[in-house]
Amino acid sequence: MNIFTDFRWAGVIEFLPQLGVGLYYTLLVSVVGLIIGFALGAIFGLLRLSRFRVLRGIAAVYVEVLRGTPLLVQAIWLFFALPLIIHYTLPSLVAGIIVIGINSGAYIAEIVRGAVQSVDNGQMEAGRSLGMSHHKTMLKVIWPQAFKRMIPPLGNQFIISIKDTSLLSVILVPELLYQGRAIASNHFNAVEIYTTVAVFYLAITLTLSLVLRGVERRLEAHS
Amino acid sequence: MIIEVSGLRKSFGDNEVLTGIDLSVEDGEVVCVVGPSGSGKSTLLRCLNRLEESTGGEVTVDGHRLTDPKIQIDDVRAEIGMVFQQFNLFPHMTVIENICLAPMQVRGLSKVQAQERGRALLAKVGLAEKENEYPRRLSGGQQQRVAIARALAMEPRIMLFDEPTSALDPELVGEVLAVMKDLALEGMTMVVVTHEMGFAREVADRAIFMDGGVIVEQGDPEQVFTAPRNERTKEFLNKVL
Repeated sequence: MNIFTDFRWAGVIEFLPQLGVGLYYTLLVSVVGLIIGFALGAIFGLLRLSRFRVLRGIAAVYVEVLRGTPLLVQAIWLFFALPLIIHYTLPSLVAGIIVIGINSGAYIAEIVRGAVQSVDNGQMEAGRSLGMSHHKTMLKVIWPQAFKRMIPPLGNQFIISIKDTSLLSVILVPELLYQGRAIASNHFNAVEIYTTVAVFYLAITLTLSLVLRGVERRLEAHS
Repeated sequence: MIIEVSGLRKSFGDNEVLTGIDLSVEDGEVVCVVGPSGSGKSTLLRCLNRLEESTGGEVTVDGHRLTDPKIQIDDVRAEIGMVFQQFNLFPHMTVIENICLAPMQVRGLSKVQAQERGRALLAKVGLAEKENEYPRRLSGGQQQRVAIARALAMEPRIMLFDEPTSALDPELVGEVLAVMKDLALEGMTMVVVTHEMGFAREVADRAIFMDGGVIVEQGDPEQVFTAPRNERTKEFLNKVL
């Protein structure tokens, strides 16, 4: 058996438009989901550092529940179980974006918390001793320094979440793997199609890695 | 009296670091606080702008009772400059941005006004040509002089110094002390926690010796350092001089 001659690689071209649709949905779910995830992560990460116990508790519960259950279970629950409670089925695309958002948000919250805590306490003291409020010192002094430290772990999380979008094929989000499976089951070209799908994912994650490396280098040059 | 402290106590858990401090500082006075490490001198200083919350007693600064929980602490701190042992410059900002941040954020100065003030202060501390450098490109002595300029940019009524030269290489100590001496000569009210006995003798109006969380002895620096009355002061000075 020869993987180059025994399969119809040229035949893949015919399915590229359909895989392109899948790529579009994968990117859509990833980008919107991660924007939501970053917003949730920033909010809950800072809440975990709050002076108020109740807020810290709420944030801890969010992180532990979302981090402690599989993403696949979260997706299936939201799409198949929640409708039985609220009598409304979310469109699969919306459900998919929500799952990526709340799931990555839990991990990003931990990244944010770690980065903020890693900034030397003397920075907060310097800001406060100049008469700036806690809030203002956080915004102008702590956050910019913390943000720089977040970038490597954030990049890591983004890549994980992008790959996780493939699980959303189970709740019928028309993303890359969903399209690939549809093609492969009709045309019996599983090797060609799933290999192409894998290459598409790799192309996305490699591009993201390169962009992040560039951002890191630019921030490094600055200070 | 611009600073009034009475019966000040401070505990960290079971460890009582300050066990009843009474202290008053006059407007324009330069007070140096010396003592062995662990004597509570830095904690005392940090209680003067409430970086540490006291656990008992009263602290009044410039007419504001810091021990009143309802006080607007940010307003009081704007009048009290503080210089730290580790400088604590903002590493993501240039020198001039470090200096301009609080005057713009707290005093509402425009960027132009703040920069004008910042440049004048940088000239005063001898770093006019460094305004666009990032802190990590400066020596420790230069960083500490920027930190002093940053505190002065708020035009404070009082300056607190927490071992400002302890983290510096010996050859860089002089340039920082020179800036502090100029400031003292201009009439700034200063409370300086330091190990620099020479500076204390030359510049301070009063020296305070602390040990075990209390003020053991205080008075004219010449007298405290050359003819201490207390045994513990004598012992300490024998070790350090």
